[in-house]
Formats: sequence, structure tokens, C-alpha cells
Amino acid sequence: MSSNNENKSPSPKEAEKPAIEPIRLPTVEEIRGQDIWNNCAVRSIVSGVMGGGLGLLMGLFIGSLDNPIMQSEMSGKEQFLFTAKQMGRRSWSSAKAFAFMGLIFSAAECVVEKARAKHDTTNTVVAGCVTGGAMSAKGGPKAACAGCAGFAAFSVLIEKFLDRHD
Amino acid sequence: MAANQNAQSGLEKEQIFGMAEKEMEYRVELFNKNFLFLIPITPKISVIEISLGGLPTRVLTSALTKSRYKESELNMGENSCIDRCVSKYWHVTNLVGQLLGSGRPGM
Repeated sequence: MSSNNENKSPSPKEAEKPAIEPIRLPTVEEIRGQDIWNNCAVRSIVSGVMGGGLGLLMGLFIGSLDNPIMQSEMSGKEQFLFTAKQMGRRSWSSAKAFAFMGLIFSAAECVVEKARAKHDTTNTVVAGCVTGGAMSAKGGPKAACAGCAGFAAFSVLIEKFLDRHD
Repeated sequence: MAANQNAQSGLEKEQIFGMAEKEMEYRVELFNKNFLFLIPITPKISVIEISLGGLPTRVLTSALTKSRYKESELNMGENSCIDRCVSKYWHVTNLVGQLLGSGRPGM
């Protein structure tokens, strides 16, 4: 639902348009909040922290699934300790990976969007390519290109999926 | 004689005040014509062209009929677009004001 200004009018084809709301200027706190959220550093750090949290949860979950090889020889307590240690290791490495991904993606998207001054899917594509390339950079240039293309496509899909507010 | 001088300075003050009022009206009109639609948060805007050589004519157009708007707040890209446009407008307005102000005694 959108409010219109005085110069434009909704198209007559649409039935049941909601009443035109009066123009409401943002308050000072809203403007400050928007300024803080639009800062690239703040955005990327928050995304990195959220990615780290997500990675932690995922690592905990995935790490708890693997059973130790010597299951029949260990007692219950040893099995529990082994699984707990494995969960911890997995969750820490997964948290680092996801935090890195979230940080790089958010920072790249923020910088690109501010430079272009447009809100588009091109920002998502470029940010995805940078993130994918950075994550697969250790495998050489070919792996970086593949990671770039793959992650860009993935992030565009996720963006389209998240934007279905019709 | 004192009354005459008072009347003259009064007239000058009136003139200056009238000029200031006219300039204020001009600025308000320019703002209304070009930038009042910036105030509502919803419409999506795209920068088409900015000309610094002359007066900034129509630098932003609203794309209401083409785009669908999903949220009522401005995005970061739109915010930076608005910031750039307004700073250019302000710069040009100051230049024009200076030119008008310096050119007037010669005119």
C-alpha cells in the first residue's frame, strides 16, 4: 500500500484503492535511525554478526548428526564428549565462514549501491560475485570465477524469493 | 529634513525588503516546482540527467506508473541519489545567486 503525493493519481483501473494518506514527514529519530542503518560499516558488521549466529546454529545442528567411528568401543559419556567437541569445532568453523560471507556480501552491496545511487538487482549480482570470488579465491582463478557466478545466481534467487510481497 | 531622510531610508528599506521577498518567492517556487515531490517517502525516483551548465531544470522524474513499490521507506540507493541531487541543486542555486547579485550593479 503506498501513499500518493498531490501531483499523481492512481490509475482508474485499480478497484478498491485505499484512501490517500496525508504526507507524513519523518521525525528526527527516524532520520537518525535511517542514517545509522545506511552506514556501510554498521550494515556489514550487523550482517556479519547475524551470519555468524546462523553459522553457529547450523554448525551445532550438523555437528550433532555425525556419529563417531569407534561407537561400539566408547562408553556413553565418551561418546557424548566426542560429539560435543565435534559440534563445537563444526559450529565455530561454520560460524566463521558464514560471518565472513555475510560481511563481504553486505559491504559489497552497500558500497555498490551507494556508488550507483540506484536500488536494483545489479547491486545484488555484483555483491554476490565479489563474495563468491572471495570465498573460492584459494582454489585459483577458475574456482574464483565459478564461485562468483554461482554465488551471484544464488543471491539473486534468494533476493527474488524474499521480495514476494505481492 | 530629518523626516525626509527618514522617509528616504524607509523607502530603501522597503525596496530591499521587496527584493528579498521576490527572491524568496522565486526560491520557493523553484522548490515547489521541482522538489516538493521528494518529500513523500513512497515514490521511487531515478536520476535522469543533471545539467550544471544552466539552471537545474528537471533533474528527477517520478516513475510511479512503471514501478511497483514494496515498502514505504526510501532505500539506501535512493537516499544517496537524493543527497547528490540536492547538493548539486544547492551548489547551482548559490552560483546563480552570486551571479545575479554581482551582475545587478552592472545591469
